[in-house]
Amino acid sequence: MTTLEDPTRTVIGEGVDRVDAPLKTTGAAHYPNDYTYPGMVHAALVGSTIAAGRIRSIDASEAQRAPGVLTVITHLTAPQLERGPMTLLGPSPPAPMQDDRILHYGQHIAVVVADSPEQARHAASLVNVEYEPAEALLDIEDPRAEILENPWGLDSERGDVSAGFAQADVVVDERYTTPDNTNNPLGLFTSIASWHGDSVTVHDSTQWPHNVRTSIAQIFRIPESGVRVLAPFVGGGFGAGLRVWCHTILTAMAAREVKRPVKLVLTRPQMFTSVGHRPNSVQHIKIGATSSGDLTAIEHRAISSVAMEDDDYEPVAAGSAVAYECPNLLTHDRQARLNIPCPGSMRAPAEGQGNFALESAIDEVAHALGMDPLELRLRNYAEQHPVLGLPWSSKALRECYTLGAERFGWSRRTPAIGSMRDGDWLVGYGLAGVSYPFYQVPCQARASLRRDGSAYVTSAATDIGTGTYTVMTQLAAECLGLDLNRVRFDLGDSDMPYSPQAGGSGLTGALANAVHMACGNLVREFLDIVRDDDASPLRGAAAEEVTASGGRLHRTDAPDQGEAYTDILNRHGLEELSADGRSTPPDPQKIGMATAGAFGAKFVEVRIDPQLGLLRVARVVSAIDGGRILNEKTASSQITGGTVGGISQAMFEETATDAGTGRIANATFGDYLMPVNADIPDMEVIFCGGPDRATTVGTKGVGEVGLVGMAAAIGNAIHHATGRRLRSLPFTIDQLLL
Amino acid sequence: MRPFEYVRPAETEQAVAAVTADPRTSFLAGGTTQLDLMKDGVLDPQRLVDITRLPLKGIMHADSRVHVGALTTMEELAADPMLRERLPFVREALLLGASTQLRNMATIGGNLLQRARCRYFRDPTVAACNKRNPGSGCAAIHGIQRMHAILGTSDQCIALHASDVAVPFVALDVVVHVQGVDGPRAIPLTQFYREPGTTPHIENVLKHGELITEVEIPLLPEGVLSHYLKVRDRVSYEFALTSAGVALQMEGDIIREARIGLGGVGTVPWRAWSAEDVLRGATVSAESFQAAAEAALEGARTLPGTAFKVELAKRTLVRTLETVAGASS
Amino acid sequence: MKHVDTPTRPGEATSEIPDVEVTLNVNGDPYRMRLDSRVTLLDALRDHLGLTGAKKGCDQGACGACTVLVDGKRIVSCLALAAQYDGREITTLEGLTDDGEPHPLQKAFARHDAFQCGYCTPGQIMSAVSLQAEGRAGTDADICEFMSGNICRCGAYPNIRAAIRDVVSEANDASV
Repeated sequence: MTTLEDPTRTVIGEGVDRVDAPLKTTGAAHYPNDYTYPGMVHAALVGSTIAAGRIRSIDASEAQRAPGVLTVITHLTAPQLERGPMTLLGPSPPAPMQDDRILHYGQHIAVVVADSPEQARHAASLVNVEYEPAEALLDIEDPRAEILENPWGLDSERGDVSAGFAQADVVVDERYTTPDNTNNPLGLFTSIASWHGDSVTVHDSTQWPHNVRTSIAQIFRIPESGVRVLAPFVGGGFGAGLRVWCHTILTAMAAREVKRPVKLVLTRPQMFTSVGHRPNSVQHIKIGATSSGDLTAIEHRAISSVAMEDDDYEPVAAGSAVAYECPNLLTHDRQARLNIPCPGSMRAPAEGQGNFALESAIDEVAHALGMDPLELRLRNYAEQHPVLGLPWSSKALRECYTLGAERFGWSRRTPAIGSMRDGDWLVGYGLAGVSYPFYQVPCQARASLRRDGSAYVTSAATDIGTGTYTVMTQLAAECLGLDLNRVRFDLGDSDMPYSPQAGGSGLTGALANAVHMACGNLVREFLDIVRDDDASPLRGAAAEEVTASGGRLHRTDAPDQGEAYTDILNRHGLEELSADGRSTPPDPQKIGMATAGAFGAKFVEVRIDPQLGLLRVARVVSAIDGGRILNEKTASSQITGGTVGGISQAMFEETATDAGTGRIANATFGDYLMPVNADIPDMEVIFCGGPDRATTVGTKGVGEVGLVGMAAAIGNAIHHATGRRLRSLPFTIDQLLL
Repeated sequence: MRPFEYVRPAETEQAVAAVTADPRTSFLAGGTTQLDLMKDGVLDPQRLVDITRLPLKGIMHADSRVHVGALTTMEELAADPMLRERLPFVREALLLGASTQLRNMATIGGNLLQRARCRYFRDPTVAACNKRNPGSGCAAIHGIQRMHAILGTSDQCIALHASDVAVPFVALDVVVHVQGVDGPRAIPLTQFYREPGTTPHIENVLKHGELITEVEIPLLPEGVLSHYLKVRDRVSYEFALTSAGVALQMEGDIIREARIGLGGVGTVPWRAWSAEDVLRGATVSAESFQAAAEAALEGARTLPGTAFKVELAKRTLVRTLETVAGASS
Repeated sequence: MKHVDTPTRPGEATSEIPDVEVTLNVNGDPYRMRLDSRVTLLDALRDHLGLTGAKKGCDQGACGACTVLVDGKRIVSCLALAAQYDGREITTLEGLTDDGEPHPLQKAFARHDAFQCGYCTPGQIMSAVSLQAEGRAGTDADICEFMSGNICRCGAYPNIRAAIRDVVSEANDASV
C-alpha cells in the first residue's frame, strides 16, 4: 500500500490552504458562543472578592426578584456534586459551590439564571455577600506556604554535582523569576447545556471533548452515552481548555435546575480567574564549565505556585535534564500552595519558564568564557538522551543551529557588548536552543469510504487553530489515494472515536498515526471484500502489494491491475465500508530509542533605544525539527504563533495580583498587555530534519516549541546590546533605562 | 449594568435640561468611556441622554483658530488638513491614542472627559477608592501603580488622566466652550481640570448637566514646529507611560517661546509651565533641555511602582525637545 | 422591513424601564426590533439577528473582534449601544461577500493563512476592509499601526499583513 515515503505523494507536506478557511473567513465557523437553542436562558457568575476565608452570609433575594431572573444558585442551594475524574493530566478541579469556604479571589460563589444575558449580569451584581476573611497566602516565597517537593517524581540527579562545580573554571549561579501569565484565548470561554431527561448536550470551549463528556457523566451520575459534547471550533485555548473547569459544571447544573437550555459566557475578567494560568516561578540555576567550554555541572531548582486544593503539572526545572550532555546534573521542582485561582497549562507549560532560566544562564556561561554562545551549545550537544542513555528517535537540533545561524547571519555578530548599532539604536543578537519533551497518548479514528467515492474520517479531536482539520484531511487523502476535495475530516464531537486533548504538542502525532492506521485498515477491508472476487483485478492481493491512488486501488507492480473503490462497493452492494484505527505511544525501551519531541533554535535581533528603554524585536529566525511536517503552511503558522507568544512572554505579559485581596489587578485587555500587530516583525521559519523514527507517520507536534526559547533569546540579545542581564520577566521599559 | 432609560433629544437645550434636572442622568456621546464604565458597574445612571445627533459636529477655521464641534470624532479631527500643517503635535497625539475603531467613536468632548486609568477606580469590588466613594481611601496607593500619576497627586488619589490629545491641548491654551441651563461659558483647558487634592471625585469645573459644545484650538504661529512623543511598552494601542507634547518658536538657536505638555504623569493633563520658563530665551543645548526636564518633574511624588517614571518622563521631554529643535534648525 | 421578535415571558415582572425601538440597517436590510436599552450593537447583531460573524473577545472595546462598519467606518460594536445606531448602515463580515463571491480580503486571508483559531478573523477582515478605504494600506508601517486595534492571540500578524499587502498590490495592478 501507499507508504508515506512514496516519491509520487503530493498531498502531505504541501502548504495547502486550511480546509476550514472558507468558513472562518466568512463568519460561518461557529464557536461555542455562536450557538443558540429555542427557549435558551442565560447564566452569569458571581465571584468572591476575597482570596481566603468563609462566606458568612449570602443573600440572593434581591437578585432573585430582579426582572427576568429564573434562579439564583449558591452553595446553600447547590446540589451535592462529586469531584470529576482523574484524567491523563491529573485530577479534575474540585466540584464548585459545595461549601462556604473561599480559597481564591474570583471563586464562583453563585450562579444567576435569567431570560437575557443583560438581566443575568445585572442580577449577579445584586447578590449580597458577607465574608469572614482570613489572611491569604499569595506570595510564592511566603514561608508559611505548604510546599510540595518533587510533585511529579521528575526530579533528576546524575553524577556528582559538587564535584562538577569543583572542576569548573567558570560558575554562573543566578536567580531567575517569571510572573503569572494568563492564557487569554480570544474566544470567551462558553458553555451551553441542554438537557433532555437524563441526557445532555454540551457546547464547550474545550480542547478535549471526551474529557468534558466523562466529567459531566461522573459528576451528574449519568451514563457517558447520555452526554454529547460539541466543539467543532474553539476560539483558541493555549491550554485553558484542557480541564473541565467549574463554569462548565455550573452551566450543566443550572440547566438541569431550570429545565431550559442555559448559556454561560465568561467575562474577560473571569477568564483570568476561572480557566487556569501559567504560574509564576522562582528558579535558581547554577552552571559550571571548564575554560574550554565543557559543561561540568548543572543544578536547576524551581518553585511554582499552585492552588490550595487543586493541582497543576508544571515541572519547570525537569526539562534541563535532557538539554545538554553534562555528566553532573540535578533538577528539583517544588510547588507552593497559595490562595490563587488554580494555574494550568499555558502554551509550553513548564518549558516556557524553565528554558528561560537555562538558556539565559548558558549565555551567561558563554559570556564569562568569552566563547560564542552557539559554539558552547554545539560543544555540549546531547547526541544521546542524557537520562535514558538511548539514541534519540530523531534529533536535528544541530542542523537547526547551523542552518538557523546561516539564515540569520549569526556570523555577522560582533561579540563585544554594545558593538552593533543602527543609527541611535543599539543592536543585539541572541539565541536559544530548545529541546521540547515528547508527549503522546492513545488516540483513535475512523475512516469510511462511501459509494460516491468520498471518504469521511472522524475523531473527537479539536482544532484550536492548529490546523487539525486540514492536516488530517491531507493525510487521509494521501493514505486513501483520493483528491483532497473527496475527503472530509470531522472532529469536535464526543460521539466520534476517542481522541486525547489538543495539548502537550501531542495531538497531531497521535491522531496522524490513528488516521493512518484507520485508512490502512480501510484498504484492508476493501481487499478482504475482493479476496475471492473473480471479477476483481485485486483478487487475493495483500495490503503490502497494493497502492492507493486516483480513487482506486491497484497492484503496485502492475498499475493497470486495479479498480476504483466505488466499483467494489457497487459490485458488492455496499453503501460504505469503515475501519477504525488507533495509535499508542511507543515505548522507548521496546524500540531502543528515546522518543523525541520537537527541537528548535531561535535567533533574535533586537533594537534598543538606550535613552527611552524602548525594546523592539527586529528579526527572528526559528529553525525547528518537528519531524515530518504534514503541512508547511499551517506548521509555519504554529511556529510563528508560538514565537509571538514567546515575544509576548518576554516583553509584555504579567498577571498582577493585589496583595491582601488576591484580586487580579489587570484583568482586562486594556491593562494586561499582549503584542499588537505593530510589535511583531515579519519572521522566518525553517524546518530541519525528517520524519521521526518512533512512529509510523513520524510527525512531532509543533504547537509549543515555537514559544520556547524566545524569552531567553531576547534576553540574551538585550545583554549583547547593552551589557544588562535581565533575569526577571517581562523585560519592560523600566528595566531598560540605561 | 442596571436598566436605564435611553433618550435622544433633538436639541442641545433639551439635552442639557434633561441632565441638569436629574443627578442620575448622564450624557452619552461616543460611549467608549461611559459604556465601558457602566459595564464594569462603576457608573450607574438611570437615564442616558444620547447627544450624538445634536448639531455639535464639524470643524471651522477662523481667526487663526480651529473651532471643533464637541461631537467631532478623533479620526475626523485628525483628518483635518490644517492640523497636519499647523498643529502636527495635535494630529500625532490624536492618532497615537487608542485604535482606529475607538477613534471613530470617541468624540473630542468625550476625550477630554475620559475617566481615570486606574484599575482600582474601575473595579467596584475594590472598596477603597476616593474617586468612586469619597472618604473610602485609595487602594492604588498600596497597590500596583505602574499606570499611575506622579504629578498633581495627593495622598487621596494617584489616578492618571490618560488623554493624549489633551497634552498638546493644554500646551496650546485650548479653550473649552460649554453650555449649561444658565447659558454658555468658555473655560481655558488649563483651568478646566481639578487636581484630586482632598476631593478626587471632582475631576473638573463642569457643573452637572453642563455640556461641552466646542473646543477652540489656537493655531501655532507660522513656522513654529511641534511634536508629540508617546513612550509605552507596546509600539501601538496602549496608554502612555510617559509622553510629551512640545512646540518651540525658534530664532536661530534661541528659543523664543516654548509650549510643553506632559502625559502619562499627571492626575490632569500636565502643562509644564516651569520648563517653559527655563527654555524661554535659552539657547538650544543639552544642558538647557536637561534643565527644562528637571524643572518639569520638580515636585513629582512617586511610589515604588511609579519611581521609574520620573527619569523616563525627563528623557521623554528631552528627546521631544531635541526632535523639535533639530527639525527647526 | 423585517421584524425580529424579542422573547418575553408573559406574566413575568418586567422593569418599569421601557424597551427601545431600534431599526438597524444591516448589510443592506432593515431590521426593526424592540430591545432592552442595555443591548449593545454587538449583542443585537449576534443574539437578536443571529449574525454571529462579529465576535465577542473582551466586551471592553479592547480586542477588536467585534469590529463592524457603520456608515463605512469601523467601530467596536461592543462599546456601542444598539439604540445609538438606530437607522445607521451597518456592515458585518456576512455582508462582505458579493453574491456568494468572497471579498478579495477574505480570499487573501485564506491564501496567506492569516489566522489560526479564526476567532479574531471577522474583526481583522473588517478592519482591513476599512484600512483600505482609509488609504492606510499602502505601507507596512501603516498596516502595522492601523491594524493594531485588532488583537490576534494566535499570533498571525505577519500573515495578516501579507494578506493585506497582497490585496493592495492586486488592486494596484488592476488599476494600472
